[in-house]
Amino acid sequence: MSSHRLRSNERGRIVTLDAAAFRWLAPGVAVLGLVIAGLVPERGAVAATTARQPKTHRVTIEGTSFQPDRLTVAAGDTVVWVNTDPFPHTATSTADAFDSGSIPSGKSWKFRALKAGAFGYICSLHPTMKAQLTVE
Amino acid sequence: MKVSVGVIAAALWLAALGASAQGVSDAQIASIVVTANQVDIDAGKLARSMAASAEVRKFAEQMITDHTGVNKSAIDLVAKLKVTPDDNPTSQSLKAGGDRNIANLKALKGAAFDKAYIDNEVAYHQQVIDAMDKTLIPGATDAQLKALLVRVRPAFVAHLEHAKHVQSSIAKQ
Repeated sequence: MSSHRLRSNERGRIVTLDAAAFRWLAPGVAVLGLVIAGLVPERGAVAATTARQPKTHRVTIEGTSFQPDRLTVAAGDTVVWVNTDPFPHTATSTADAFDSGSIPSGKSWKFRALKAGAFGYICSLHPTMKAQLTVE
Repeated sequence: MKVSVGVIAAALWLAALGASAQGVSDAQIASIVVTANQVDIDAGKLARSMAASAEVRKFAEQMITDHTGVNKSAIDLVAKLKVTPDDNPTSQSLKAGGDRNIANLKALKGAAFDKAYIDNEVAYHQQVIDAMDKTLIPGATDAQLKALLVRVRPAFVAHLEHAKHVQSSIAKQ
């Protein structure tokens, strides 16, 4: 478990596992950081600050589909839906957790995911578009 | 099930689309794509003002928006590729079929209008998807034109599902 791995790993699932593990470790790391700050100030500070840095994830809307159609993020992360199709789409939770409203062609919509859970969502204009956002 | 004159007319001209699109050039495909979108935009504009059901008017509004967007991408790409859309028997047949549909719809009102418009939308989207799969996508030689067709195809599938949903919804009213 290192802050380097958290920052550099582009694979959502592994990053997510790391982030989940950090929630267990972070308080300990912070305390440890304070305790050992005098000895190794740099390492302690880096571990404590980067572990809490929220990430931004991109979902591309293209060809009347969400890509990726399954995304797992940590609570506090932001998801940006970017509509690259030539007509509007929405990202609408089927459980009323979020609703972008119409995202015009070439525009995007951001959502900060705070509540944990697995949220199925669709495009309300093209309900054949189905995807899932998991917040851990 | 009662089949309207409009649906039979639509089936005839759309069958022509499938049959005569064999061995089409990119310039002909460009003309077919633009005409197919325009035909649905025109029907949508009529339905937006004439439809009795709010659900049908909303569907029509979305068809205008989506097909206008698809047409803009198609026209932009065609200009970039320096292809001049080539009018051909398939695009002419599409245009004639679209005109017949409009004429048929203009003679109708209320629930009869809604049913005829939606029935035609179901038939139209199904046939355009078939034509894309059988002739337009396999026939496109330019990679970007082919990619555009592949990218917009799922929207036609979504429209077909949506049209079928509206069709069954208004049948219950």
